[in-house]
Amino acid sequence: MSGIGPPEPGEGTRAWESRREEDAPAPLAARYARRRRIAAALAAAAVLLSGGGYLYATRPQQPTAHARRPYPQVPYPAQVVDLTYLDARPAPAGAPPHSFSFAVLVSVASGPPVTVTRVIQPYAGLSVTTDPPAPFRIRVDSARKITITMHVTECGKAPRNAGLPFLDVTLRNTRAIQEQSFIPGPHYAQDLSHALEVACSNRNR
Amino acid sequence: MRQRSLIAITAALAAGALTLTACGSRDSGDKGSDSGNGGGSTVVIGVDSPLTGDLSAMGLGIKNSADLAVQKANKQKFVKGVTFKIEALDDQAQPSAGQQNASKLVSEQEVLGVVGPLNSSVAESMQKVFDDAKLVEVSPANTGPALTQGQDWQNKKVRPYKAYFRTATTDAIQGPFAAQYVFNTAKKKKVFVIDDKKTYGSGLAATFTEEFKKLGGKVVGTEHINPDAKDFSAVATKVKNSGAQVVYYGGEYPQAGPLSKQIKAAGAKIPLVGGDGIKDDTFMKLAGAEATGDLATSVGAPVEDLPSAKQFVSDYKAAGYKEDYSAYGGYAYDSAWAIIEAVKKVVDANGGKLPSDARAKVTEAMQNVSFDGVTGKVSFDEYGDATNKQLTVYAVKNGAWVPVKSGTYTG
Repeated sequence: MSGIGPPEPGEGTRAWESRREEDAPAPLAARYARRRRIAAALAAAAVLLSGGGYLYATRPQQPTAHARRPYPQVPYPAQVVDLTYLDARPAPAGAPPHSFSFAVLVSVASGPPVTVTRVIQPYAGLSVTTDPPAPFRIRVDSARKITITMHVTECGKAPRNAGLPFLDVTLRNTRAIQEQSFIPGPHYAQDLSHALEVACSNRNR
Repeated sequence: MRQRSLIAITAALAAGALTLTACGSRDSGDKGSDSGNGGGSTVVIGVDSPLTGDLSAMGLGIKNSADLAVQKANKQKFVKGVTFKIEALDDQAQPSAGQQNASKLVSEQEVLGVVGPLNSSVAESMQKVFDDAKLVEVSPANTGPALTQGQDWQNKKVRPYKAYFRTATTDAIQGPFAAQYVFNTAKKKKVFVIDDKKTYGSGLAATFTEEFKKLGGKVVGTEHINPDAKDFSAVATKVKNSGAQVVYYGGEYPQAGPLSKQIKAAGAKIPLVGGDGIKDDTFMKLAGAEATGDLATSVGAPVEDLPSAKQFVSDYKAAGYKEDYSAYGGYAYDSAWAIIEAVKKVVDANGGKLPSDARAKVTEAMQNVSFDGVTGKVSFDEYGDATNKQLTVYAVKNGAWVPVKSGTYTG
């Protein structure tokens, strides 16, 4: 509804009726009647003021910038988390053969801390672990460097040349749990392809 | 006399209270786009989109959303001494009409920025006209990568026009995003690819196909359709006979809807997948009940995830526009607001007045515009592309587009 019509009469606007009463003659007890009229007029004024004030305070209006957010709303975690690809890393000691690692930086732009509950990738033939292991927590303005280690379980099902590979990250804050796909871009794609070529080359099998 | 005076005071107070109330109610529902600043300069923001024809649902959503931004700027007196107006022109989704509109807007000195167009093919015909006049253009909907990164964008990115910006994500991301979803999540390995031969449709189909093949998927057939056609039965039969598990369509909803319907009618009960060009409610009306399970990627996060977008939706409804804001409403609002922000920068830097070379200055200022918009943080990279690159996969469920996966490009 955008059109606002004339304001409805609020409580107390019936005071106009007392004006009609005033027109009626009161030859007897004029003194008391006069006092009653004065009292009635003052009461009517008070009621009208309060009624008008109520109407004014509750008038329809465009919300102001502040009124739009009557309370600070916690943002959805996917809207405040950023994941930036850093570089390829050697696989950690003790990792199974055909493993390789990458470093990413995860940060939270605003709102309460966000917990990363899971990091996966969607391709068959690859499994993923992280250091620190999920779940881990990230606070505003304290980005964390995460090492992602991938293990090739089946070379035939691993994408050797994906253009924009994903990392699927499950995020949780006090507002919601969401799974968000992060697409770290061409450097990640190149490093992933290279690592898969190396891991799945004949000499490494 | 005394009681009469009191009654008169009472009446005056009542009238005052009611007048105060009535005044307070006027500030909603004013749909004028040029109210508020009285005096000072007038800045016109041109809008170019299809206001008639098959794609008018999206085009009118763009026009109304740009108007909403202008209303807000005027109401807030966001740029002191400047009153904004929009001038909306209909390009009918035709490049030639778009070019004529571009020339008209360039010829009007009060125009300091343009929101639009919808179609990448139309944008191609307008870019040079605007660039020669140093008139900034911010598209809310163009996704063709070449518009910002040059024809050879896959090998070497070169920005062709400094006056062109966009708030939408490009097909260089949208196509691969769809391919990843179809292959990995939907587990479809055989696709039939169809496009409408237009800049947007064929470009999007190409980026999808490339990524789908890289992932190990197989393209079992390809076809091009005529955008003016309504009978796709021959193509539908080919799809049925191909053994495809999914159809990818590069194009827009006026053709995608009937295509989906006719493919299912031919006996191929497989989903049709498209890009932002099919993500309009008209698609479901055209495709019918069997569209359930069809998919579309679209630029941006789902509206319900963005508090800023919720406010936009609420304001849009309150403004009383007849048409829906459609797929690009939020982006059109942000495009218009980006122009308003750029004008503000220029005016503030020039002692509160527009300089004589305002167009060039506004175009220059656009490069560094940054604000929290309806669709998130709005700013532009060195090519004029939006830095905010979010995408969402939607599926048709119960006759509506429902988000099923969201992604963020952070490269």
